Amino acid sequence: MIFSEIYSSYYNAVSHIIREALQNPVNAEKIREIILKYAFAESVLPIEQALKNQDWQLILPDGRTPLKNIPEIPLTLPQKRWMKAVSLDKRVKLFDVNMSFLDDIEPLFTQEDYYIFDRYSDGDDYDNEKYISNFRMILSAVHDRKPLDITVKNRKNHEVAFMVMPEKLEYSEKDDKFRLLTSGSCAASVINLGRIVSCSFHEGEFKTEKGKRNSDRLCSLTLELVNERNALERVMLHFSHFEKTAEKLDEKHYRLTIRYAQSDETEILIRVLSFGPLVRVTAPERFIKMIQKRLKRQKSCGL
Amino acid sequence: MGYNELIKNFDVIRDYMRDFYVYGWGSRDEYDKKSSRTYDDAKRRIENWLGEYMKYQWDSDGKRVFISVDTRNTVHNPLYTTLKAKSFTNGDITLFFIIFDILHEPSVYFPLSEILDKIDEEYLSRFEETKIFDGSTVRKKLNEYVSMGLLKTKKQGKILYYSRTKNISFNNTDVLHFFSEIMPCGAFGAFLLDKQEEYRDIFTFKHHYINAALDSEIVYSLFSAMHEKREIEIKKITRKGDKRILRIVPLKLFISVQNGRQYLMAYKRRNKRISSYRIDYIFDVKPLEKAEDFDFLRNKLNGMQPFLWGVSTQGKNARRETVEFIVHFQNDEQYIYDRLQREKRCGTVEKIDDSHARFYAEVYDTNEMLTWIRSFICRITYVNFSDKEIESQLKADIETMYRMYGVSE
Repeated sequence: MIFSEIYSSYYNAVSHIIREALQNPVNAEKIREIILKYAFAESVLPIEQALKNQDWQLILPDGRTPLKNIPEIPLTLPQKRWMKAVSLDKRVKLFDVNMSFLDDIEPLFTQEDYYIFDRYSDGDDYDNEKYISNFRMILSAVHDRKPLDITVKNRKNHEVAFMVMPEKLEYSEKDDKFRLLTSGSCAASVINLGRIVSCSFHEGEFKTEKGKRNSDRLCSLTLELVNERNALERVMLHFSHFEKTAEKLDEKHYRLTIRYAQSDETEILIRVLSFGPLVRVTAPERFIKMIQKRLKRQKSCGL
Repeated sequence: MGYNELIKNFDVIRDYMRDFYVYGWGSRDEYDKKSSRTYDDAKRRIENWLGEYMKYQWDSDGKRVFISVDTRNTVHNPLYTTLKAKSFTNGDITLFFIIFDILHEPSVYFPLSEILDKIDEEYLSRFEETKIFDGSTVRKKLNEYVSMGLLKTKKQGKILYYSRTKNISFNNTDVLHFFSEIMPCGAFGAFLLDKQEEYRDIFTFKHHYINAALDSEIVYSLFSAMHEKREIEIKKITRKGDKRILRIVPLKLFISVQNGRQYLMAYKRRNKRISSYRIDYIFDVKPLEKAEDFDFLRNKLNGMQPFLWGVSTQGKNARRETVEFIVHFQNDEQYIYDRLQREKRCGTVEKIDDSHARFYAEVYDTNEMLTWIRSFICRITYVNFSDKEIESQLKADIETMYRMYGVSE
């Protein structure tokens, strides 16, 4: 079972209140602080009241607790089984972890139990030792905020070197690729890990180039759709991972506005085209012109 | 009963969450099927759990509420929060912490009678109005924790002793974070992350569909049934909103990373067919007896996979259809050929000459491929589908687009 109170924010908050009470008597202010950190915005009153009224007999009126030990709860069997499933995933090799403590646990699922049917086939090579060592070095550099010297093979197969400050690792489930998001180099704000030829910690001074990453620029796109062939559900779900607003214009017509990174514009264009006449771009004019250009080219294909 | 931010049943809130997140709207008037009080409570809860992601908009139908999440800038799936709001009784939480305090390490074990004495004498007696828990309540709780793997039992003579299971210390937050976002039932990883001290988020996610979080409980039940090779009875809603009860053999989950849908591929004995079932349409899974032919049926599905573009196992003709199209690209557009190669799934791609490539596939349902084929608009020079109706549909769609965007030349 996943939907269980033992995983709840309330239990987590109370666990931290007990931890605190084991060290020092907790007052109302401290209890509120812990609740706000670990539970929901409206949890303060119900948790505080339940403890104060002794509905939950865990904190004494003087702020101490009759409990004697730090509340540490073992993992549930489903949690262990999920972790076992993780340990069987090929991407776990990227992390330097030993999960042999799960040897006697049955996995919740294996690769035989599920299939991602529309993932691109040229994903990163997680079996490649060089890839694994690069990944681990980058992961460590992101944690420790250490600059890196990275050489990559560009699209023309030329090797290019960059000095970058690693910020985050971005993973795309569709592409099955990791990308390093960096600062300090305008020319290499996003580096595909699969293209890295060599990678090492940078020695000496790190110089930052001034400039803003292209991918930071957000664009807006407005689509109108007619709810035919289940288009409403398909389009809304397809674009659901963007920041968006949606409006119902009438019983059959809807408007959707999404915000996307300009560096992804070609991909967005392709995704819009894939819905064919079920969606119509109404703004911006620049995007409409890109679609018209593609349609004109299509017309010249003589289909 | 007054408003409570916690909930007993996830199903109701699952519906609202889907409407607010996927469709991006929900106004009070549209929920006349449920009481306005239910709507108000659900909205308040979701606002409370997901405050920063709730957005509001006024239009002719009144105030609309929706959830907007740019998942590229949101490192943790916010929808997992909803799974952390299960209600419980005063006794549940009190007994939970006291029982695990009594059984504070695996070497400590007690029978029910001693646990009951300790609860009363060492814990509850210190409160002014001492609560009393009877033996059956505590036994029920202990057995619940045994079934969850939190406690174990051993018998000495006729007496049953309880002790906690060995704890596993796994504190790699990178592993927990990464896999909680990308693996089925990732909520388990999110719960484990809740137990960690302060840590730094390293990962972000692109093309990240988070709605699967709402289906976690159903997916968990399906995996459990598949693991035990059991038949199941599912309750589901149809696209029109009718309720159905089906008896099926669950075989495999098919997950899309391009549209956020999850499907169960399952065998239905009544019509002797393997079909797909949308997981977000399933609202109950009941395990039944073992399916002795589970391995045979799964092998049958595996044998069908080379002809599945998506999840449809049958077009209207109940036989395999052929799909062929040719795209044109210029000398500096080699990436188009590469794109065909990486996106071809069960199809094959061959270069005809320096500027043309042919895609060919045999599939159960051509209709599923139209979305992908339309993404090549601007370079499709030839199509030949065995299903001529769908071929005409594709051509008609393109003609309609010419008119929509005023393209005459």
